[in-house]
Amino acid sequence: MGLPAPIARAAGRATSRLLRLAGRNASQLPGRVALALDSQLLASLAPGLAEGAVVVCGTNGKTTTTNVIARACQEAGFSVDCNWRGANMLAGITSAMLYDKGADWAVMEADELSCVHVLPQLKPRWLVLLNLFRDQLDRAGEIDHVQDCLVEALAASPGTGLIVCGDDPLSVGVARRAHAAGTEVLAFGIDEELPPPPDRVPEARFCQVCGAELGYEWRAYAQLGAFACPACDFARPPLAWRAKAIDVSPKGVSFEVRDGEDRPLAEVSAGFGGTYMVYNLLGAFAAASLMGVSPEAFNRALAGYDPKNGRLQHYRLRGREIVLNLAKNPTGFNQNISLMLADERPKAAFFVINDDYNDGKDISWIWDVDFERLAGEAEAGRLRVVAGGHRANDVQVRMKYAGMRAPIALTVAEALAALEGAGSSGAPAGSDAAELEPLYVLCNYSALWPAKAELDREAEAL
Amino acid sequence: MTARSLSICHLFPEALNLYGDGGNILTLAKRLEWRGIEARIEEVPLTETPSFAATDIVFIGGGSDREQRIVCERLLERKAELEAYVRDGGVLLAVCGGYQLLGHSYAMGEETLEGLGLVDLSTSRGTPRLIGNILIESELVGRVVGYENHGGRTHLGSGVEPLGRVLFGHGNDGESGAEGCVSGNVLGTYIHGPLLPKNPAVADWVLARALERRYGSAELEPLDDAEELAANAVMAERLLRGEEKE
Repeated sequence: MGLPAPIARAAGRATSRLLRLAGRNASQLPGRVALALDSQLLASLAPGLAEGAVVVCGTNGKTTTTNVIARACQEAGFSVDCNWRGANMLAGITSAMLYDKGADWAVMEADELSCVHVLPQLKPRWLVLLNLFRDQLDRAGEIDHVQDCLVEALAASPGTGLIVCGDDPLSVGVARRAHAAGTEVLAFGIDEELPPPPDRVPEARFCQVCGAELGYEWRAYAQLGAFACPACDFARPPLAWRAKAIDVSPKGVSFEVRDGEDRPLAEVSAGFGGTYMVYNLLGAFAAASLMGVSPEAFNRALAGYDPKNGRLQHYRLRGREIVLNLAKNPTGFNQNISLMLADERPKAAFFVINDDYNDGKDISWIWDVDFERLAGEAEAGRLRVVAGGHRANDVQVRMKYAGMRAPIALTVAEALAALEGAGSSGAPAGSDAAELEPLYVLCNYSALWPAKAELDREAEAL
Repeated sequence: MTARSLSICHLFPEALNLYGDGGNILTLAKRLEWRGIEARIEEVPLTETPSFAATDIVFIGGGSDREQRIVCERLLERKAELEAYVRDGGVLLAVCGGYQLLGHSYAMGEETLEGLGLVDLSTSRGTPRLIGNILIESELVGRVVGYENHGGRTHLGSGVEPLGRVLFGHGNDGESGAEGCVSGNVLGTYIHGPLLPKNPAVADWVLARALERRYGSAELEPLDDAEELAANAVMAERLLRGEEKE
């Protein structure tokens, strides 16, 4: 350890002021500066929280779930420190803790591999584990390694309880090992049979304990569902929060939350998302209720939820509705494809894939995305696709082998030009000619920010 | 000419699917379809016993360590059939973990496990993992570009030709400059995932070998590969310009 914590903290805050004066993003560097002076700074800031901390991790849905929990806490009258924008490694989390004298709660999303650094310092009351999907194999390694890191993180923070998605065999695998080592575990999940999903089980086909192929009563998407091993006792755990009466439509999701004894707790609805959002919101509800947030405050937070963070953000540009969303791995992309197919209008899509360090340099995963589900729409003239990002050529080849021709564009404006220049206005015959086909802009992590900046600058927010 | 068709055996896709390996099967199928040749894809699950009697192309992909061990045990039970298939000139494409299984032995943690012994090579363990974009120059198929991610160090026997020489990246062992292997109609490589889509010459080599064995002629109608070759060239140029190694 270097200098005393107050000096490290002051240095971080000064860095933040300078960055803000210069109009720069201050979500990472202040924490890096402060941590360079005191690597354990988060540990000295954590006791300043009046109530404690909650950390959210999981491959997909971290930012939205974290934002919903933090908003709900504010709605309930708590003051909150939060890494709202998703800077989710130790530096980003430390940055988000530098300013307040001591908030009531810290609500932080943490990168799965960063948990092992974050948890021992922050010592959160709860860790929410949403899901584990294959993502960034080059950086994170195989999922087994991610699981080991989470088990180690929980072991290093004995006071932290685990709120886990009980429908995900991979997350439950972590919970089972953590529970054996003394961690308190509570599970949430969907408690009714859903219509069969169109995707395949991409991973976790095998029992986490004995290696037999898992069986499913029903499946929600990817490997999430009511699973059980035919050969041993590995199965979906009892659920402390259950989602029932689920309705998923292009308009959003709604469901009823019931407790472990099947008693109704709340009705929850949100004007965004697909099946995956039921899990995010149920996980958020579970955490919020343990933090003392009432169902009413939770729903008020959802009603006013508009984080403008590039997740399912709507714009209007050159006569078109534009839907911007993050899609950074096969499961995320497949869920976005489901959302697009639920939109009955003819549409266009701009798939933007970068391979920066934060994205993972290996983009092999685009061949695991079920783009073939879109081919029928494309063949019927109801879908056009454009390829973008540093790896636009790879996206173009992927489209070709899925049966679609995709021109390459560098920006959203270029994508629109490609669509406009293709001869058709995009307006389907017999429909209102003024309404052009909506454009779905689906970007992986580092591609999201330039697209969002361009749309924030050029387009009307909806 | 009567209608032609090839049978492609995708071994254990539920376990060996780590890096978009399905893209390789898709590419073989499409490039046959575009030439009016029927592609029959046979996905062999772990619970089934593969027979290679009517097979033209066998594909073995990569899996996580745990899954690869299960797969190798299953394949060792079929070692004699696979040997006979390869001896008969059967085409076998093996990527990443599948490539390691081709040799006499491979290392898993501290253990040395028996391989299929189809090619004179063996794989030891090394640190660090060899991860990153890779570009090789191959006499057989030109410039091949892709991604590698392996802890294994594969050493070729004296009579085995590498697929190519490394221009950027690590290759078989990070030292020799050799990448992959070609032995008869068996091709192994660490270049994983979408090996074939962006390297259509590799895909067509596989198809030509299989057509020759089945129909006596390796002739393939040329396709418009402008998009595939552009994707290959963009990455090759980027790597040769001196992209930072991981």
